[in-house]
Amino acid sequence: MAGEATEHARQNRWEQLSQYRGLLAFVAVFILGCLYTPHAVDTGRSIFLSWRTQLDILYEYCEYGLLATGMTLVILAAGIDLSVGSVLGCSATLFAVLTVGYGWHIPEAIAVTLLFGMGVGALNGFLIARFRMQPFVVTLATMTAARGLAKLISGGIKVAPAAKEWYKLQDNTPPFFSWMSQSLPHLGMKPAALIFLVSILIMAVLVARSTFGRNLYAIGGNEEAAVLSGIAVHRAKIIAYSLCAGFAALAGIINACRQDIGDPEAGVGFELDAIAAVVIGGTSLAGGRGGMLFTLVGVLIIAYINKILSLNAVAIAPRMIIQAAIILVAVLIQRQKRS
Amino acid sequence: MKTMKFAFAGVLACALFAGINTQSESHAAGGLKPAPATKGARKTFTIGMSQCNLGEPYRVQMNKDIEAAAAKHPELKIIYRDAQNRSETQQSQMREFVQQRVNLILVSPKEARPLTRPIAEAMDAGIPVIVLDRKITGDKYTCFIGGDNVKIGREAGKYMAQLLGGKGNIIEIQGLGTSSPAKERHDGFMDGIKGSQIKILESVDCQWMEPNAQREMASALSRFPKIDAVYGQNDPSAHGAYQAAKQEGKGREKQIKFIGIDSLPNEGIRYVKDGVLNATFQYPTGGADAIDNALKILNGQKVPKNIILGTRRFTKDNVAKGGTPL
Repeated sequence: MAGEATEHARQNRWEQLSQYRGLLAFVAVFILGCLYTPHAVDTGRSIFLSWRTQLDILYEYCEYGLLATGMTLVILAAGIDLSVGSVLGCSATLFAVLTVGYGWHIPEAIAVTLLFGMGVGALNGFLIARFRMQPFVVTLATMTAARGLAKLISGGIKVAPAAKEWYKLQDNTPPFFSWMSQSLPHLGMKPAALIFLVSILIMAVLVARSTFGRNLYAIGGNEEAAVLSGIAVHRAKIIAYSLCAGFAALAGIINACRQDIGDPEAGVGFELDAIAAVVIGGTSLAGGRGGMLFTLVGVLIIAYINKILSLNAVAIAPRMIIQAAIILVAVLIQRQKRS
Repeated sequence: MKTMKFAFAGVLACALFAGINTQSESHAAGGLKPAPATKGARKTFTIGMSQCNLGEPYRVQMNKDIEAAAAKHPELKIIYRDAQNRSETQQSQMREFVQQRVNLILVSPKEARPLTRPIAEAMDAGIPVIVLDRKITGDKYTCFIGGDNVKIGREAGKYMAQLLGGKGNIIEIQGLGTSSPAKERHDGFMDGIKGSQIKILESVDCQWMEPNAQREMASALSRFPKIDAVYGQNDPSAHGAYQAAKQEGKGREKQIKFIGIDSLPNEGIRYVKDGVLNATFQYPTGGADAIDNALKILNGQKVPKNIILGTRRFTKDNVAKGGTPL
């Protein structure tokens, strides 16, 4: 992870060590999971420690994970994208309408859905870069618009086979839908979880090794300086926002498959979970510091905490307070590092 | 920095302690095979119950009914889960029940399609599943227990005709127009008043919410000089309509008849006792039936695939005696 450190940050030993704060927190969470776990009624084995639970955690958080992956790109460049939850919902609806409603083949529907997502992202990036509009405001607007669009293309209903008379598919969703949430032979992992892992690892390499990645850090660190040093700031921003919304569209396709339904209301509030995962991982909301593997750790921390709380049937009230405490503590540690 | 790390871990630990202490010893049952035990009178059974949310009073009541019925059977241990109105959460609860190897699953689904597959997976793992209130797609479940909204609507319609002597002008306050219970309660009601001279002046959509019902009824009162009765598709909306009539200040709430549906103890039943509603029709939670059938399944007996529950009519005369079964 040291390779992702910014050039701006002074690399003394202490700071190198503090890079692993996230991992330590994750280990702490894991140990708590081992201590507090229900046991199988028949065999008495720990449920938390089973391999199946580990895979379930990845599967259950893959949508948030994909959103956080894209969000990291944008946040590194000192931006924010509030529209990802809505783009997820809109993409899920679009994908379901194309496949279930119009009977399109899966590859074409995936391509169109991803292009749609990247188009929304490109629009975000263009407005933010070209007109210097606030990312918060621009993406707030697209967040609302995308949700409206989702309801528009679905006709205000949840898209499922036979939901409307003219739908091509009247009996069942395409086999691709159930494939997404069935364990792959040999691996045991579900395709949805695998897509998340592969995506975030590719992006980790891209951010750490490519010019595009270095440009994001430079823009997030000091945009004026980045412009002066000849970096194509506009282009980098547009690409970052396009990729971010593209990942949201990918998460939307997964959502439609997992829920077996195209729900225009899918993904409401997901953007906040994605931002929380990025921040807990240790990427600074001010931009310029952090990295993709940090986000992976952040996603895992949130996912594991939620699974532990769920396995132990902790009631919703204490659960929400615990989640809040964790976010605050994580951000507190970040501030500590700055001073 | 070091202290911060410890603080982090400390907060987590404390928080988890606090959270975990709130739940019961529900995981303590042990030493059982998930397959239905034959004549195991002294054995304990663990049942997982996933409720789609605990925000609606009806669902809280369902859990209460299950709890009350299970209390008579010390061999049953029930793990309650609240899916907080999220299909994703309910899906993972199904998987967690399978991992815990509970002996039987009760589930009151939020949505049919997303839960169909996880329930099938539990069945494949040899765990019987009883589905409550909302059906799933396909037939891979052990038993479905639910009410019949068409019948309830029909009974409400018949009683309305009886109450008004066969003719009158009424307002229908619908639930969420796009939802199936609202449609079924409407269709049943229309069937029930067929042949009478009852005219529906207006049918408004209040999305099951009392404030909306009150608002819509207030406008209806200002438009129609003569309203004989209100059919609320749930008790809160009938109650909201009553409030609107009362607040109008012309005493019309005394002339207008109000009928509601659901009959929850703290809502419809109380409104009938207080003389606010003329009648309420029960939408059964099926909680007690769920435990009865769960016991049968766990003891290796066969149960019907679909159990459709009847309804009860509560009026001021019979509310103390527990209503009239229909």
